[in-house]
Amino acid sequence: MSATEPHPWLAGALVPGRFGAAAGEPVRLGTRACELVQVLARRDGDAALQAAIRAAGGPDLPPPGHAAQGERMAALWTQPRGWLIQAGPDAGLARRLADACGPAAAVVEQTHGRCVFTLEGAHARAVLARLCRVDLHPRAFGPGRVAVTPLSEIAAVIHQTGAAPGFDIIVASSYARAVAGMLAAAAAPIGYQVGGDQMGGDQMGGDQMGGDRVD
Amino acid sequence: MLLIRCPVCAMDRPELEFRHAGQAHVARPADPGAVDDAAWAAYLYLRDNPKGVVAERWRHVHGCGRFFNALRHTVSDRILATYPAGASRPEVAP
Repeated sequence: MSATEPHPWLAGALVPGRFGAAAGEPVRLGTRACELVQVLARRDGDAALQAAIRAAGGPDLPPPGHAAQGERMAALWTQPRGWLIQAGPDAGLARRLADACGPAAAVVEQTHGRCVFTLEGAHARAVLARLCRVDLHPRAFGPGRVAVTPLSEIAAVIHQTGAAPGFDIIVASSYARAVAGMLAAAAAPIGYQVGGDQMGGDQMGGDQMGGDRVD
Repeated sequence: MLLIRCPVCAMDRPELEFRHAGQAHVARPADPGAVDDAAWAAYLYLRDNPKGVVAERWRHVHGCGRFFNALRHTVSDRILATYPAGASRPEVAP
């Protein structure tokens, strides 16, 4: 299974089309094909990890609660001295980072361990607020912010990617199907759209991070 | 629902994300072999139970996973301050 294939757990869970309330602007629900790698700085490895990430085209590692976009990858803070690195599909990220970091950091491939949902649209905040208790108001949260918090009762990383607003919701793959159902149920009273304008069996919604759309 | 500010995440989060972990600032005897049974039992089992402000350990178990300390008033159940584990207890007005 390459990184560009959709998660098999999600087969049939998100079908292209418009669902829920028929009136008003729907939120757009989809998944994002990307590579994810967890990096954890080992003792005294912080500076070497930062140098390796920067040399690989990454950003300055962001402080707690924030994400940073680099030239070739994004970094999301998830825990003290630990980040999720996100790049376009088939970037070979884990191997490159493991080689670059050496003993400075633990580098764990998470591409198939996590599933990234996208939730976009004017009412995305209202949908997410049904499931999590983080203050998503623009005065408290905004583009580039990250929260590690339970979504309903499932551990998730919530990353606001755009001011539209748009969110990435990163959960363990084994929970992907349950989260897809949860997001769909939360979005139904507002109405939601799965897939882009073309309805060609493409279960992706939203833009891709430097990668091709999943077909 | 208490809103608790995690000093690691630097965000207010709901109480549901946290676990209480007992009294803070309980110092383990430096040389356990040298203390008598009463002192060791006091270290293991005896805890304060005041009416007023207590310093407690909490863990942000569903967030960053880290332990930190909080000052909580046992009557109002209000969290007065949170601070990193290892830091000394801050002065707050109850």
